[in-house]
Amino acid sequence: MDVIRLDRRRFLKVASAGVFGTGLILAMSWDERFFVNAAGAGSSKEFQPNAWLKIGTDGSVIVYTVESEMGQGPYTLMPMILAEELEVDWQDVRVEHAPLKPVYGYQSTGGSSSIRKGWATLRSAGAAAREMLVSAAAQQWNVAHEECYASQSRIVHKRTNNILGFGELALAAAALPIPGKVRLKSPDEYRVLGTAVPRLDIPQKVNGNAQFGIDVDLPDMLFATTVHCPVLGGRPESVDDRQTKKIPGVQAVFAIDNAVAVVAEDTWAAMKGANALDIEWNEGPNRRLDSKKIRAQLQAAARAGGMVTTRHGNVSRVLKTGNTIRASYDLPFQAHAPMEPMNCTAWITDGRCTVWAPTQSPSAAHGVAARYGLSKLTKYKDKVARRLTREKLEAVEVNSTLLGGGFGRRLEQDYVAEAVQIAKAVGKPVKLTWAREEDIQHDFYHPYTFHLMEGSVDASGKPSAWWHRMAGVGDPGAADLPYAIPNVRIEVTGVDIDVPTGPWRSVSHHYYAFAKETFFDELARLGNQDPLELRLALLRDPRLRGVLELAADKAGWGKTRPDNQFLGLAVHHSFGSYVAEAVEIAMDGKDRLRVPRVVVAIDCGIVINPDIVAAQMESSVVFALSAALKGAIALENGRVQQSNYHDFTILRLDEMPKVETYMVKSTESPEGIGEPGVPPLAPALANALFAATGKPIRSLPIDKKIFVQSV
Amino acid sequence: MVRYTLHVNGQEYEVETLDDTPLLWVLRDRLKLTGTKYACGIGACGACIVHVEGEPVRSCMVPAHSVKHKAIITIEGLSSDLGHPVQQAWIERQVPQCGYCQSGQIMAAAALLKDNPNPTDAEIDEAMAHVLCRCGTYQRVRDGIRLATKLIKEQA
Repeated sequence: MDVIRLDRRRFLKVASAGVFGTGLILAMSWDERFFVNAAGAGSSKEFQPNAWLKIGTDGSVIVYTVESEMGQGPYTLMPMILAEELEVDWQDVRVEHAPLKPVYGYQSTGGSSSIRKGWATLRSAGAAAREMLVSAAAQQWNVAHEECYASQSRIVHKRTNNILGFGELALAAAALPIPGKVRLKSPDEYRVLGTAVPRLDIPQKVNGNAQFGIDVDLPDMLFATTVHCPVLGGRPESVDDRQTKKIPGVQAVFAIDNAVAVVAEDTWAAMKGANALDIEWNEGPNRRLDSKKIRAQLQAAARAGGMVTTRHGNVSRVLKTGNTIRASYDLPFQAHAPMEPMNCTAWITDGRCTVWAPTQSPSAAHGVAARYGLSKLTKYKDKVARRLTREKLEAVEVNSTLLGGGFGRRLEQDYVAEAVQIAKAVGKPVKLTWAREEDIQHDFYHPYTFHLMEGSVDASGKPSAWWHRMAGVGDPGAADLPYAIPNVRIEVTGVDIDVPTGPWRSVSHHYYAFAKETFFDELARLGNQDPLELRLALLRDPRLRGVLELAADKAGWGKTRPDNQFLGLAVHHSFGSYVAEAVEIAMDGKDRLRVPRVVVAIDCGIVINPDIVAAQMESSVVFALSAALKGAIALENGRVQQSNYHDFTILRLDEMPKVETYMVKSTESPEGIGEPGVPPLAPALANALFAATGKPIRSLPIDKKIFVQSV
Repeated sequence: MVRYTLHVNGQEYEVETLDDTPLLWVLRDRLKLTGTKYACGIGACGACIVHVEGEPVRSCMVPAHSVKHKAIITIEGLSSDLGHPVQQAWIERQVPQCGYCQSGQIMAAAALLKDNPNPTDAEIDEAMAHVLCRCGTYQRVRDGIRLATKLIKEQA
């Protein structure tokens, strides 16, 4: 939890005063836990006024981040926020992942929330340090505090131009009391925020030095892999490991949880050993589960009823008499498939459990490691809470590595539970690496959803009623309609189906926005309305209208295009940000589709780093395009049919559109950027196809072959 | 089991492995050169690309002992100081996101430019089409290659 409690409403009120250049004065109640170095008790070598930064006598500044780095940029973005207030030269900034200490609160990265969570705290932390450095310099020069200012890692005395570097002042600053008030900058004063500073993690990612979870190496370490029942929910009945044990290097074979572990001297021997096992599986209750049956169950549930989440007017009455259309949407399971497969390294010795993992939640990993490594719990699916002693919790250490992609998959800690159990069994450090096939077939999938929609237009061609019922595996999520339609009813219903599901980049927004934005275009056509004009007429939120107009303008909506080129639009608000996308397609024949260009307009409030925002929009477009045009997950006989990148296909370089990102200039609070670019893509693409063919797209992936771009 | 010598990044290593152990796993688990990555194991994704006698090779598909006595370069050996034009271009254009696929991207791009310092877009497509990136950095990979061709010309 945040220990500097900054009431969001109070922040916004004061922030708006700050827009006029007076900055933001914050009187804060300082919580003892915020500080690792209380005044006067400093270490002899550095200045660490709070948990978020450390300044060495050499002037280097380490910023601690609690966010997991999976490509979305927090290892650069979070230090930028602190650096702005600290007035440090960016060249002097280093970043380290914060240790799992209570002062940092619960560590978990997801929901595109990193910047929103850290915005107030990191600015305050940087400002407090800055003020102490100024005070230290002022004292040394025997001048007034107000006569000095901080800039580029130095304190400057205005009158004399005397300069002292942060490094020179570090120890003196460490002896000073923490200020009770700090002044935060207003956006017009920003020097770092809003600029494309180079990412701190990139150099190591171009020379092989970057250490992901799968790269961890310890002395005397063994290598393991696990195999799981190909039928979801099954478990090993008997294991014949005779062939496996013949393989030189294989050291052990045993069952853990619902899987079989093979431990060996290197990963290849472990995987070869796993392939040589002869396992009789108890396939369990799900061996007749298949995608067709799941669709049928969801369809039946959607027809039966749902819980109303949004209602106004009288949808049923208007639909009875109006000019209506009906649609149903069929959106399948999706896999995460990050390039780095699931893995975790663990070592249990002397009652201590140490874990290295590419996890999105070190705090969750900590709890799982304590439970499965240091007590008798064995089944990850057992969510029964167990009382863990303080000793057990303190005996666990979690080290966060870089992540080779996350997308929500690594919010689960099943690979941690397995690794610690293997470590417990072998008594040595063990690196567990899943084969890609296990990763694809034992995911926590983006859930299958089935939607029913019905809508009508009035005599003037404007939508008069909108009904949307969403059925999904588990909980399909709540929904909101931003269009001013007089009669609206949105309902959701969840179906209990024994397929593991979990958060997948943009979560319920992905399927909800697809149905919403494509159905809107169908209603627009029914009423003979232009999809852009109709949206602008019905959108109440000016920030939604703003991005829509920007995207349409940059994409050339309404301009004459070659006969085989079409444009589709969609707009959606998620994770605090507003995104509109215009997808340009070229039809070369009935089944040959090219996507030459995607225009993205985003309003994410204050832009921390525009290059990272653009990168996240490019990334989101590719992620969504893969789900729209390439692979999906299908079940048959309880088994996931796909197993690797040859049959769970993702977009390739030669299929990539040109993605242009336009950011709305804003002084509103900064919002999410990792996920908001995903929801509008598929519906914008489908709307372009609808414009091209007159046929609506109601299921994904779209049944068209995407072929190479001739740029 | 087989015993043999591998030449990697200008150094010799004596190793003993199973006769089908792919080069990828010898590099990673024995030589501790973890820059070369495992992502699919079936040659479909390119994360494991290294140079064998200057040619790009998917190291997950090649038994290590079959390339004994051949000069192997991994991402770690591409330069000692981030000085390879592809690395410079990758930093300039801020190509990586999670970075896991980037060793393969860089090695594939470096091999392309060694043979063909001024590739057309179609030639870039052909060389890079099966080097996968789940983060979707392809636009920047392309830009990075184009910048690298400029840097190579300037440094020639």
